[in-house]
Amino acid sequence: MKTTNPQHRMLALLSIPAFLFLVIPTAIVVPVALNDSRYITFPPEGISFAAVAGFFADRAWTSALTASLQSAAIAVVIGVLLGATAAIGLHGRKFPGQPAVVGLILAPMIVPTVVLALAFYQFFISIGMVGSIVPIGLAHAVIATPYVYLTTRASLAGLNPALVRSAQSLGAGPLSVLRHVYLPIILPGLISGALFAFSVSIDETVMSLFMQSPGATTLPVKMFTDIQFNLTPKIAVSSALLVSVATIGLLLQVLFVLKRRSSTRMLPLAVSAQT
Amino acid sequence: MSNATLERPRPRGRGAPASAEAPPRRRRSGWWLLLAPILAFDVVLFLTPLGKLVGASFADNAYQRVLEDPLVMRALVNTLTISLASTIVTVVLGYIIAMVLWRAGNVTRVILFAVVLLPFWTGILVKNFAWAVLLQDNGIVNAFLQGIGLTGAPVPLLHNRFAVIVGMVHCLLPYAVFPIFSSLTSIDDRLGLAARSLGAREGSVFRTITLPLSMPGISAAGLLVFIISTGFFITPVVMGGPGDMMIANQIDYYARQLTDFSGAAALAVILTVMVSILVAVYQRVLKAGGQHENN
Repeated sequence: MKTTNPQHRMLALLSIPAFLFLVIPTAIVVPVALNDSRYITFPPEGISFAAVAGFFADRAWTSALTASLQSAAIAVVIGVLLGATAAIGLHGRKFPGQPAVVGLILAPMIVPTVVLALAFYQFFISIGMVGSIVPIGLAHAVIATPYVYLTTRASLAGLNPALVRSAQSLGAGPLSVLRHVYLPIILPGLISGALFAFSVSIDETVMSLFMQSPGATTLPVKMFTDIQFNLTPKIAVSSALLVSVATIGLLLQVLFVLKRRSSTRMLPLAVSAQT
Repeated sequence: MSNATLERPRPRGRGAPASAEAPPRRRRSGWWLLLAPILAFDVVLFLTPLGKLVGASFADNAYQRVLEDPLVMRALVNTLTISLASTIVTVVLGYIIAMVLWRAGNVTRVILFAVVLLPFWTGILVKNFAWAVLLQDNGIVNAFLQGIGLTGAPVPLLHNRFAVIVGMVHCLLPYAVFPIFSSLTSIDDRLGLAARSLGAREGSVFRTITLPLSMPGISAAGLLVFIISTGFFITPVVMGGPGDMMIANQIDYYARQLTDFSGAAALAVILTVMVSILVAVYQRVLKAGGQHENN
């Protein structure tokens, strides 16, 4: 329904500050990183890549970047494997205890991260698993898996379980059903879930902060530690890197949505909220 | 999630696949193998750590100790007031944005959706850093306020409660927009058309049709935003002052400064129980909203 009455124009006008409030902080990050000044200012005084060069010359920051990428890799691989197998295993099946299983799969989404951070901190110390990126990556996998499960489940929603049965009755074994029936259908959901998992891990701060060690300090942890003393150009570069990653992830998601021609698919949180 | 499941994680994890082995009618036992990896993973790396946390919270009289700590009481009060203020601002802004998305054409809608989702995809530290740059003494907001003559000297906009709420609202907005948007899209357009054809003005269409019918979305958004607000940790540190610490910061303080594990665990359990109650209420609200739409 398209109307151009004054009330709708007033609504549009009213919404401009709200949209600016949303966009401006994200929009200034890259210009701030490329600012030609020793101080952090906006608008920038000139364009320079000095801060970027400084970031990549600083061992502390590059190893933080490496640590972040390693933890994200662990989270994505585990998240995709567990989330996808769970979604397929639960698709079209009803059994006693199923709500409990779904509840357990989604539960890591509602526990506050600081609580999980404390629990993991204690747990990994108690089993002597500290000082590397592995526990951080595992912790990220715990909170990333529900997202992959949800996106995979969403892409399975259109699959008729009868299709699986007919494939089986035609002699397809479990592996070939997985490969030829499930995989083509879940692929968009898997990719979208992998993007979510990557984004959850690369931005996660609290758990990484609790479990940090000299060899396992992620980018957000390094930023968090430094930002409490000063706003430095290296924090700006790190922010710009993360914003670029987020923008690419978001654009990929938008492309998927446009391909599927349904704006409701863009409601990843509405999906999680319904469960 | 109830306390009972937190305390005794293992029996439940083992019990679930066992009950799953009684399939309805047909036997396709191989499929349950697909659930084994995630169940094993969550039992070992989710339920066990949480169970240990709950166990630790009962040591050394921890609950009584933390609840008698004036710093904890202050953090609890801060958490409630900051969360409530952020929730109100977020829901109002979220409603305006959801209305625009609802009324927008298809292409504009996708673009605006991307705009709403960008902060959701951006990490909290990046967002808070950007706000710190904007709100600092020589930042652009202060420059603007001085430029239009509202103030002669920079106004302290950072390291106070105002900044915490600004930073939190920015993170929370997408969570408010989506539930409100879905309840708006479920409103039958013909209701508005009918009202207008009978001479209703836009204002009264909004008051008598749109607003009441989107109430389920508003309460869902409000609850969801409040639930997420209570766990904020980074924003109070980066954007707040010493008086703005929330319950999550107090957990960190107990764990890493005082190295008082049982105290930290007790606080964590208190926060989790609070959140779980709100989540239960939230799910009831969602269900009630769903029934409403089906009528």
